[in-house]
Amino acid sequence: MARTVGIDLGTTYSLVAYVDPETGRPRVIPGPYGTPLCPSVVSLDPDGSIVAGEPARRRLLTQPDRTIYSVKRLMGRGVEDVREEQKLFSFRIDPESRQVVRVRLGERVFTPPEISAFILRELKAWAEEHFQDTVDRAVITVPAYFNDAQRQATRDAGRLAGLEVLRLVNEPTAAALAYGLHEQQRGLVAVYDLGGGTFDISILKLISTTEGDIYQVLATCGDTHLGGDDIDNLLLGIARDEIHHRFRVDLEAAPERIQELRKALIQAKHELSQAEQTRVIFPLDGSVYERHITREEFEDWIAPIIERTFGPVRQALADAGLQPAQLDEVVLVGGSTRLPLVRRRVEQFFGRRPHTELNPDEVVALGAAVQAGILTRGAQPMLLLDVTPLSLGIETMGGVVAKLIPRNSTIPASAQELFTTGVDNQTGIEIHVLQGERELARDCRSLARFTLRVPPMPAGMARVEVRFTIDASGILQVRARDLRTGQEQGVEVRPSYGLTDAEIERMLEESIEYAEQDFAQRQLIEARNEAESILHYTEKSLASEAAAELPDDDRTRIAAAATALRQAMVGTDYKQIRRLIDELNQATLPLAERMMNRVLAATVEGRRLEEL
Amino acid sequence: MKEAQTLTARELHCWNCGAAAGGTHFCPSCGKIQPLPPDTDYFAFFGLPRRLGLDAHALEASYHELSWRLHPDRFAQASEAERRLSLDRSAQLNDAFRTLRDPVRRVEYLLWLTGRRREGENKQQAPPELLEEVFELNEALEELRQARRTGGDGAAATSLRRQLEAERQKLETMLEAVDAELVEASAAWDRALDSGAAVEPLLDRLNGILNRRSYIRNLVENVRQELAAD
Repeated sequence: MARTVGIDLGTTYSLVAYVDPETGRPRVIPGPYGTPLCPSVVSLDPDGSIVAGEPARRRLLTQPDRTIYSVKRLMGRGVEDVREEQKLFSFRIDPESRQVVRVRLGERVFTPPEISAFILRELKAWAEEHFQDTVDRAVITVPAYFNDAQRQATRDAGRLAGLEVLRLVNEPTAAALAYGLHEQQRGLVAVYDLGGGTFDISILKLISTTEGDIYQVLATCGDTHLGGDDIDNLLLGIARDEIHHRFRVDLEAAPERIQELRKALIQAKHELSQAEQTRVIFPLDGSVYERHITREEFEDWIAPIIERTFGPVRQALADAGLQPAQLDEVVLVGGSTRLPLVRRRVEQFFGRRPHTELNPDEVVALGAAVQAGILTRGAQPMLLLDVTPLSLGIETMGGVVAKLIPRNSTIPASAQELFTTGVDNQTGIEIHVLQGERELARDCRSLARFTLRVPPMPAGMARVEVRFTIDASGILQVRARDLRTGQEQGVEVRPSYGLTDAEIERMLEESIEYAEQDFAQRQLIEARNEAESILHYTEKSLASEAAAELPDDDRTRIAAAATALRQAMVGTDYKQIRRLIDELNQATLPLAERMMNRVLAATVEGRRLEEL
Repeated sequence: MKEAQTLTARELHCWNCGAAAGGTHFCPSCGKIQPLPPDTDYFAFFGLPRRLGLDAHALEASYHELSWRLHPDRFAQASEAERRLSLDRSAQLNDAFRTLRDPVRRVEYLLWLTGRRREGENKQQAPPELLEEVFELNEALEELRQARRTGGDGAAATSLRRQLEAERQKLETMLEAVDAELVEASAAWDRALDSGAAVEPLLDRLNGILNRRSYIRNLVENVRQELAAD
């Protein structure tokens, strides 16, 4: 029987998990690189094939204009929305994008759901390799604060990847499920979820009933453009300014170098969660940008970003009618909650130590797997009652929004409205659906438009009842009924920032072009390519001046590792090749250190000469 | 209203086995989930009479019990038709709970059910005894906005703010009084139901109270926002 999995489709990393039928516990599935974290990066190879995950991430440095990361930030968004952000990306937004953003990778153009589908396909392949069985259904998580268009785009991505999306689950709620199963928590729980690109806060009430545990979300709030990416971009801005100032070097024209710098800065950010200080070393032409950063300085920089999370936190608490001190538990989710500053500020705000027992990178995927288990096998006596994060309304006279379903309503939720005609013989009634909290339509997010058909008759005689339903995934469905005839009427909804069914059909056909090559075959090709480049680099290094002083036993170890790798490359076991690549990497460490020291020494000397 | 009444009068049969199902959540004969009747009555959905006094704990327990039975999670493996019925019924359950658990929305809903409140008509009548008050309040609000625009002199703005703060407290006291009135009128409605007394005058009274309440609440909200804008 085909399997069902839970997927965390993240801004930076994505993961796939399942519930172990024997233990009833959720588990993440490690991929071919030994980690369950699949970088959410996609690259178009010059030969026209698609690469996703870890190999694509490596191409960020070599082929930045053919490689895309953080595509989640573009899901369900219009060209106008992303204009500001475009500056931060190395890939290009297609100038001919209409309402749905289109991304140019090399010679081809893709929509964000198509890109996300490549990541989902990769995860699907991981799971199929793990089970040695097909995977055709999934529960996928989304930020709680995602609007309808962003949710639809995620569901479309699943469809394009050949997955039936059983449910979209809000990330903080999924995390609460995983924690609930883990710790048997009760009472009022706040989930603070700061990921790579999005921030969510959800307030839940955990209730025991005779049938099982109910996880009822009381309120949720967030910012779909606030996360670790913002910290990276801030660091990048600082470093670029300093490099420009000190060396008169502008990296603008060198996307490869910018990606290298970004990578070094992200590394520094990670180190500062453990150490009190770190050093960024970035070689430039004939000089080196070297920057010592203390945690204190780093925290001063990022404090304004972290403070931005507390606006939504206060809003969610107010909507739930609670004070911070009333919460029984606080849970931290998302990679960015590893930052000591975040932990301190959250603890300070709620007056209690937050839970961090479960790996913040994995907990959302684990929760998605739990929900998948609930849906397919009724595996756990748990019921999730989530809410819609934004109010739903329709445009009325004068561009004012009439709210139909208030934010934080438990979903599924619905509202009915009666419509009639304003002039004689009018045959259509235009409806404009919006999402948001503001009073005017132009300040809210346009979701969709549709036309109600009525037979010609005097004004005010027509009576069409429209039922707006937000389903358990937080996605709007519209149905209309003519009250005079009792007939249901098909409603063709035109999404404002989404793909139509016809477009998805066309993309599905096109995607056959990318029909998955045999997974193991692809892994083997990737592993061999990588082995080749590391062997080549090793040879080059051994011939360098730095290698001259290398002790003999280091040299012997390198030679032995290289020979073993060459032999494995002839075979077809990609896992073996990967293992030997790691061994060779280990063996060449002393050599790499010597080479780095020489570079540093040379630049310091160079600078002294200049000074003289 | 007319159409709805004729439809309810019609006997409702189970879509699956044809047994009389009478608008219940599940068919008493075959146990399949049933479509929503065409007219909505949130009270009936919970099997409650149209009383305004409600035991909040009992309502919540009943909500949880029905959630277990009606939520789409419970129908993930069911037929497409049943999944859709579950979506409709659980949406209705959530709508009903959201409405009935709040004492003000509950009254609003009762008035809607009885035809007193439709399509936003006369929702915000200015209570005559408040007219003068409202006039002065709006003037003060306008002056404060003016002062903020021009950056005007601080002393005048401070005194305006003090005046508005006093006004806000007064309005909030009024709001409390109206809420107390609403509680009293709600209890009177329940008593009338029990004794079989005339309910029409009570519906008019409840409607009047709600109109005044929403008017005062808007005023409070305006003043609050204006004060918070500084």
